[in-house]
Amino acid sequence: MRVVLADDSVLLREGLAALLEGKDFDVVAQSGDAEDLLRKVGAHKPDVAIVDVRMPPTHTDEGLKAALEIRQRFPETGVLVLSAYVEETSALELLSDDAAGIGYLLKDRVSDVDRFTEAVRRVGDGGSALDPEVVSRLLGRRRREDPLAALSPREREVLGLMAEGRSNHAIADALVVTERAVEKHVTSIFTKLTLPPTVVDHRRVLAVLAYLQG
Amino acid sequence: MSSLRAALLALFAASVAMAAVMVALVVSSDHENAKEVTAVLGPFIGLSFCGTGIFAWTRRPHNRFGALMTAVGFAWFVAGLTQANDPWVYTLGVYLGPLYLVLVGHMLLAFPTGRLETTQARTLIALGYLDALLVQVPFFLLGGDISHPADAPRNAWALTDNPDGAQVFGAVSQLVAAGLIVWLAVQLVQKRRDASPPQRRVMAPVLWTGLALSAALVVAVLSQILGGAEPIATSPSVVSLIAFAALPWAFVVGLLRSRYSRAGAVGDLVERLNAQGIEGESLRDALADALGDKSLALAFWSRGSERYVDAHGQPFDLPPAAARDRAVTEIERESMPVAAIVHDAALLDEPGLVRAAGAAAALALENERLEAELKARVAELQVSRAKVIEVGMAERRALERNLHDGAQQRLVALSLQLGLAKTKLREDPEVAERILDGARRELASALEELRELARGIHPAILTDRGLAAALDALAGRAPVPVDVETVPEGRMPMPVEAVAYFVVSESLTNMAKYADAEYATVRVLRENGYAVVEIEDNGIGGADPSAGSGLRGLADRLAALDGRLEVDSPPGVGTTVRARIPCA
Repeated sequence: MRVVLADDSVLLREGLAALLEGKDFDVVAQSGDAEDLLRKVGAHKPDVAIVDVRMPPTHTDEGLKAALEIRQRFPETGVLVLSAYVEETSALELLSDDAAGIGYLLKDRVSDVDRFTEAVRRVGDGGSALDPEVVSRLLGRRRREDPLAALSPREREVLGLMAEGRSNHAIADALVVTERAVEKHVTSIFTKLTLPPTVVDHRRVLAVLAYLQG
Repeated sequence: MSSLRAALLALFAASVAMAAVMVALVVSSDHENAKEVTAVLGPFIGLSFCGTGIFAWTRRPHNRFGALMTAVGFAWFVAGLTQANDPWVYTLGVYLGPLYLVLVGHMLLAFPTGRLETTQARTLIALGYLDALLVQVPFFLLGGDISHPADAPRNAWALTDNPDGAQVFGAVSQLVAAGLIVWLAVQLVQKRRDASPPQRRVMAPVLWTGLALSAALVVAVLSQILGGAEPIATSPSVVSLIAFAALPWAFVVGLLRSRYSRAGAVGDLVERLNAQGIEGESLRDALADALGDKSLALAFWSRGSERYVDAHGQPFDLPPAAARDRAVTEIERESMPVAAIVHDAALLDEPGLVRAAGAAAALALENERLEAELKARVAELQVSRAKVIEVGMAERRALERNLHDGAQQRLVALSLQLGLAKTKLREDPEVAERILDGARRELASALEELRELARGIHPAILTDRGLAAALDALAGRAPVPVDVETVPEGRMPMPVEAVAYFVVSESLTNMAKYADAEYATVRVLRENGYAVVEIEDNGIGGADPSAGSGLRGLADRLAALDGRLEVDSPPGVGTTVRARIPCA
């Protein structure tokens, strides 16, 4: 899988590159700012671009803007946005139209190498990856007459993992249950929340997010 | 005796001589019917003008009004040549006779400044001179009849004998004169209306007399045009003569009146100030009433900000010294400025008047000043409080940025390395060990950065060991030798020490960045209830305290403690930063 990296910290960039290459990714280019990133994405057409939110010149949300632009101009390239802190609004902005090929993770997630590379692969394959922190905050929102209260603890876990963008297979792995069991939970959740059933993972994410957003 | 005084004295002597000539001419005149009256009144009127004119001239040498009045007197004496028996002198007298009336018009319109202020006035007077001196010429040359009464000498300048032709010019001249006099009256009324109240008080007697004179003259001229055919100067009507004779005395009365009423007004003011507690607007009103100037404004000296403020403590700009219509009189008390009275420049004609009123109100003004200063202080505090908050916000933003770009970034990298090391631990322990070594270095750097950051927020050494130790530590980290010369023994209040520390820290940072200095000296002294922090370097100088955000931030921080920052940075000599922080 071909990757382009963008972060203004060389240190982190090099570290990430080493990590990804150790896991058989092909890091085709690195850049330190959004403009350079867009150029390199255009040139290399990678499967996925990993982008830091804060980059020169203003060090605010250049990465987010670049991510949206990449999605628009190069739909074949997935974008995984890394940030020192995560916000629901930014997440929903990123995933609003189409969660396919979009990821939004806390930077710290890089320390869990396997989970991180799994997320990169998922985004590169056109899936999505939403940080558990965002998901838990969305799930934890207080609602009047909360329909989530009707869910069993297991179902809530499954809902969270769905929101993160994981497939049934990955959910089954994470919970150490059979895929069949996961499917049963999913059907139950969709029924309880009266959501239209969807098969494709990234559509499922959107549906769940739209629901959680209320 | 100054040369001006000598000249004016000579001028007065000349006017006395002219009066004597006039008396002689009247006495020996063959055609004067009322010799006694004319011999007394004529010189009296002329000397009145010359005397008051020369007096006004001595008092205000730069005001042309005195000169104009004197000129009227002399023109009057010249008109007296009509008493001569010699035809040529008589004709000259008749020709120049009306000149004094034009000069009176000029004088009235130029009153009291001595200048013709408007284009209308200038045009009017120019036409008057033309009419008196030019239009009359053909009248004389064509043999106009000037023998009034009948036994007066004949026209000595007649080239031909064409009295009817001459009369055309005579009539034109008189008609123009009548028109000009009406215009003059209108201008005088306008002048009165445009005058400020204090001006009006001085001007009233002269203007009213002038109006009476022009009215009488119009009547006289018209009756001449309708009735006879003689130039106006030869027989001015009795009424116009009285009004004319009264003019110099009206001027004197105006002067006395303003002086008298103003002296009384200051007395009233004192009484009013004593009778009731006067403050705010009513103090201004009392002064405005006393000085007869409704436009009067008060400004108070703020010792804190060393500038004038209004009664609400807002900055007040005095009118420029060059302003012609507004003047400023500053009031002091115990040789400290208290207030400035901004008033009509006409009040300056009375030297000392405004000052006297101001002195009478000085105590009330001082009270008012204290209040205005308090308000100014409150406004200043509001600004400085807002600035402190702003500085705080900016510092927090910088801190967040530093944390994000520095330590946080390093810790993420560290976690990344640890993650990598974990994956390598079993299959490739050597690589894992190398990665862990890198991680340890990363951790050391992160710790160092955090320490640096913490020191920037608040140096622990300052709390633990005091200012001297903290400044020594700062000096030790500076890129050029820094000599900490004196620091007071014993602790100062924490906020003072903290600000002193940041003044030195920021100054040394600036020096390292811009000054190109070889060494610097730091001094902290306590004097007169202030802690004085001084940082001096031998660099290139030219630092601009308003340019850099660092120095401005310092000034704001100091302002929060009522302190002040001075930057003395002559190019090529070096920079001295001096902060004064109140510290009892």
